[in-house]
Amino acid sequence: MNKSSIAIVALLALIGGFSISWVISSNKPIELEAGLWFGEQARALPEFELVDHSGQVLNRTSLTGKWSLMFFGYTHCPDICPASLQTMSDMVQAIEDPDVAAALRVYFISVDPDRDNAEVLASYVTYFNPDFTGATAIMEKLKPLTRSLGIAHDIRNKIEGNPGYDVDHSSAIVLINPNAEFAGLFGAPHDALAMARDLTRIVEYN
Amino acid sequence: MITSRLSLVLLLIFSPIALAELEFRDPWIKNLPASVPVRAGYMTILNSQSEAVSIVSLRSNAFTSIEIHQTIEQDGMMRMEQVTNLKIESNSSVHLAPGGLHLMMMNPSEPTQPGDLLEILVVLDDGSEQRVEMQVMK
Repeated sequence: MNKSSIAIVALLALIGGFSISWVISSNKPIELEAGLWFGEQARALPEFELVDHSGQVLNRTSLTGKWSLMFFGYTHCPDICPASLQTMSDMVQAIEDPDVAAALRVYFISVDPDRDNAEVLASYVTYFNPDFTGATAIMEKLKPLTRSLGIAHDIRNKIEGNPGYDVDHSSAIVLINPNAEFAGLFGAPHDALAMARDLTRIVEYN
Repeated sequence: MITSRLSLVLLLIFSPIALAELEFRDPWIKNLPASVPVRAGYMTILNSQSEAVSIVSLRSNAFTSIEIHQTIEQDGMMRMEQVTNLKIESNSSVHLAPGGLHLMMMNPSEPTQPGDLLEILVVLDDGSEQRVEMQVMK
């Protein structure tokens, strides 16, 4: 290859490099080790109102000023929910940067309000980590939040007088930024260490 | 003259009874607070015999009932489906692990603690039963 060819290739590479970084910073979700970060495309959450396990209101304003991770499930769930909460507890403990750890809040949102009252939620979430917060609301109040986060949930086989029924729910862990915007998503299966690294990257970057 | 010992041996050789036996490795139960009325049980089940063996039911004094469930994803949601007959093919193993197949163990008779050993009975399709000791883990 002669010198002018090399120069042209180098120039194209430079332009190409700038183009790629422009695309990354503007349009597409950024792929992390364990999930996706929406960057500039983070979406504002609608107004919503839940009640947490200590009886306090949990709404959009409550989420401002910190990075929040939310997982949706129910306490009668024997398999997925305990595993996911355990992973989130392992994850926060794996974060080495104390500033990152201090900026995080973990929420378990029950999509089974009939069985999961504040007392049930309190003993459940604190079993996994004393700093976790449980919250719920009646279905009509849950929907604005879950819909905006792309979280599907459904109650099946509920029969009058029978306390046992099925609750289906998405298993994604959602990330909400300090502006109370839907900022990212960690799909199942959840890897505690990979999530810890991703969250450190995101929080330190911002 | 056929001795009683010989006749016993002949009886065993020609007996149609061949009890199936499964091996249960690392059986454990995920602990949860006492306010939660279910626990999940996990293990690896090995069938080293030349015939398939099925688990048709389970029971325990430590729970009111035990079912086998599978966590599956459908329409973007995780849901559990009951498996009423768990078949383990010959010379195969089946894994019960978080996110997949698991024992759904209902209404523990007592609060569980990590380290507890709880016994369950596994009933096979040939009618035989096997005891399995499961350890409660955090």
